[in-house]
Amino acid sequence: MRDLKAVGKKFVHVMYPRKSSALLRDWDLWGPLVLCVSLALMLQGGSADSKDDGGPQFAEVFVIIWFGAVVITLNSKLLGGTISFFQSLCVLGYCVLPLTVAMLVCRLVLLAGAGTISFIIRLIVVVAMFGWSTLASTAFLADSQPPNRKALVVYPIFLFYFVISWMILTFTPQ
Amino acid sequence: PRQALVDDTEDVSLDFGSEEELALRKARFRHPLATFFHLFFRVSAIVTYLFCDWFSNSFVACFVTILLLLSFDFWSVKNVTGRLLVGLRWWNQIDEDGKSHWVFEAKRVPTIAASTEAEARIFWLGLIICPVIWTLFFFSTLFSLKLKWLALVIAGISLQTANLYGYIHCKLGGQKTLSRAASRLFATADVPKSKYRAV
Repeated sequence: MRDLKAVGKKFVHVMYPRKSSALLRDWDLWGPLVLCVSLALMLQGGSADSKDDGGPQFAEVFVIIWFGAVVITLNSKLLGGTISFFQSLCVLGYCVLPLTVAMLVCRLVLLAGAGTISFIIRLIVVVAMFGWSTLASTAFLADSQPPNRKALVVYPIFLFYFVISWMILTFTPQ
Repeated sequence: PRQALVDDTEDVSLDFGSEEELALRKARFRHPLATFFHLFFRVSAIVTYLFCDWFSNSFVACFVTILLLLSFDFWSVKNVTGRLLVGLRWWNQIDEDGKSHWVFEAKRVPTIAASTEAEARIFWLGLIICPVIWTLFFFSTLFSLKLKWLALVIAGISLQTANLYGYIHCKLGGQKTLSRAASRLFATADVPKSKYRAV
């Protein structure tokens, strides 16, 4: 129960990113796990996998998210960051929340149709959420770096969320 | 003399404690629920992995189920069964200045409700055997080239090995020094620090 409340609090903090210590001090990986699984589930059934049951694609999304987060964390630690390994994983994982919301919206929009208008709506939503995710995670992570290294840390985060946004935007249901 | 007579016939109450305490001392399992759940999630995860073809055709359903079982197992072993069955616990703590410490503690004094040998044995066996089984799965998946399961097996190995490592660290540290003052640095609000000693 206490853990559930902690997870909920962190979700709220991501949606309204302020410099708060809750995400940094009491890290947990439950939120990222839930987000990763839901995102991977929603990315199922795309036209990329035709004959099999969507297995490889599910595992791919999973691996991309976790492996990507680990690589970014290693990168920021090697650049001399003061944040710990799991804290960084926690922040990166929780900041996937806006993109998960974007995925949900995209799926709903795609129910209505897959034309140009729907694409434009999806594009706007995904770009907005991508910006939100990147800003939220940078707000938490960049502070732990010396000032001349901030760009070097922000760039991989930008790429990471860009790849996820790309997967979301190019998703077309079967 | 009269005093001796009185002493002989007086009822002396022997202090064995209440009925409940007696039953507790004799029982083989003082925490049956914890023991059950310690093994339940781990064994279910392994069984589901082995027999997933029987349960469902969908890879995704199996993946998510096993992942959930592994996560519940991790949470329950780390937060509940370790504390109840063997009196050990470990966690990560982050200071004011952002430094992270890993804290490993072992229970100082075994109380009445502390666990029995059978429970401790079940705890350690379950803790050690399951990561070994997942490692075997890792190699079998690798060599049979069923690579889509690899992510799950790696997740299983990491979660179970994390608990194994944490508890072994607690246990080994405890055997080195018998008397160590309770750690004042790592006292948290909800922990009665007299019951545990830092390791």
